[in-house]
Amino acid sequence: MLQVQEVCYSYGNHRSWLRPRSEKTPVLKQVSFELERGCCLGLLGTSGAGKSTLGRTVLGLQKPDQGQVLFEGRDLYAAGGRIRKTLRRDIQVVFQDCHSSVNPLMTADRIIGEPLRNYERLSARESKRRTGELLEQVGLSADDGNKRPDQFSGGQLQRINIARAIALRPKLIVLDEPVSSLDRVHQSLILDLLAELKASLGVSYLFITHDIQAAMMLCDRVAVMDRGELVHLTDWPASLWDCEQTAVKNLVEAVLPEHPGGRLALL
Amino acid sequence: MIAVCAGVILLFFLVAIFAPWIAPHDPVKVDLVHKLDGPSAQHWLGTDHLGRDNLSRLIYGARVSLGFAFLIFLSSLVLGTLVGALSGYVGGRLDNLIMRVCEGIMAFPNLVLVLGIVGIFGPGLMQVLLALMMVQWVYYARICRNMVVSLKERPFIAAARVSGSSSWQIIRRHIIPNVQRPIVVMATLEMGWAIMDISALSFLGLGIQPPNAEWGAMIHEGTSHIRSHPELMIYPGILILIVVMTFNIVGEALSERYGVAKR
Repeated sequence: MLQVQEVCYSYGNHRSWLRPRSEKTPVLKQVSFELERGCCLGLLGTSGAGKSTLGRTVLGLQKPDQGQVLFEGRDLYAAGGRIRKTLRRDIQVVFQDCHSSVNPLMTADRIIGEPLRNYERLSARESKRRTGELLEQVGLSADDGNKRPDQFSGGQLQRINIARAIALRPKLIVLDEPVSSLDRVHQSLILDLLAELKASLGVSYLFITHDIQAAMMLCDRVAVMDRGELVHLTDWPASLWDCEQTAVKNLVEAVLPEHPGGRLALL
Repeated sequence: MIAVCAGVILLFFLVAIFAPWIAPHDPVKVDLVHKLDGPSAQHWLGTDHLGRDNLSRLIYGARVSLGFAFLIFLSSLVLGTLVGALSGYVGGRLDNLIMRVCEGIMAFPNLVLVLGIVGIFGPGLMQVLLALMMVQWVYYARICRNMVVSLKERPFIAAARVSGSSSWQIIRRHIIPNVQRPIVVMATLEMGWAIMDISALSFLGLGIQPPNAEWGAMIHEGTSHIRSHPELMIYPGILILIVVMTFNIVGEALSERYGVAKR
């Protein structure tokens, strides 16, 4: 369904007459992978490994310097205007920072209704009914629709972000560290919700995280990134525990034990 | 306090709008027999050196002062916000160009620049209006641009784009509502300045032309009688003071309530 082919991207200063030579830092080096329908691919890596940049590239927000992103066989960046908008409909996102992922001045109904408004002509009542359904689907009540973001907790806001992401029944959702800003309890609740939605909607996930345990819980396949390169790809996430690769080992060793004494047992 | 001030502002605007019905006399009717009269039942605030009714001139003067200040405020607000939003949203070379132009305009003291522009186009209310607008929009543009630049990086803009909103829809739904409050606060403070500027230019004889009434122009006409009849200058002076002060108090209160930093 999704094919990422040899994508390269560098951040850098653009050239100007004051700065004749541009300095560029590569963040993605020849990254390639595929993602099938209904599958969840975990994208693991430390901060600065290029995970989020890859996520933005898949979302169509950042044109890669080289390489292609194909969604159902069509290049995401070659298409213009209207075709791009229809392609985009099937790829949605949940960002890490739940508070700044929502416009503070909008009600939950308007936040969740935004994608619906962009693609479908709905009457005010129909739109209200649909957002109410979506709110219930993510474990909130339809009455919450009139509240504004400052009246929700972090976990509830992340549920609203998820509701917005599933509103258009997309085929792929990019989850960019969706639970990293939440406490442990809400982390597992949100992960449960995501697993449940995946089963009921048949949606694929690109799950970007640095938390190897969260990845184990949700993912069918796991890719590990290190300094802009895809260093490890496996169809069997549990095999990561005894992988010899340095980048993978670092992630495994960073897992906190339930008890300080448990650290040795884990390794 | 804010309610009282807002009430005062509203009152001034009502007086300006309904001037022809409120004013007891024709503001430009010369009556040399009764020149420089003191307060009387017929002329509550006396008459000026040409026997024109002071109260009526003050009431009609509010029309010009407030009306044109409002026009300047509105046009520079709209122009500045649009240009600033565009500059911040598009970024790159356009942003660079627009910001350098703004800085160029800001580098001059306002009044000097306005005097220069009026000097080129000649005195008159329309010219003053244009000149002040050309000077004031940059402050709105600059503030708006900076807010847009910081808003643009927020994830909800990216989320809106992913959910299929076009640039125009993003500007309309997400950017403009979020810059509205600080801009309104700033505009209230700017309004006081606009009134001061108009009065100052009329005082210098560059704005409204005689015999029309305007507060700054009235102060100017009063200067020749400053020893015998200082009230000719004091009345319009007090009105300018009250209006500018109320606008500033409202602006301060709003900025405190919304936690907005002032320029």
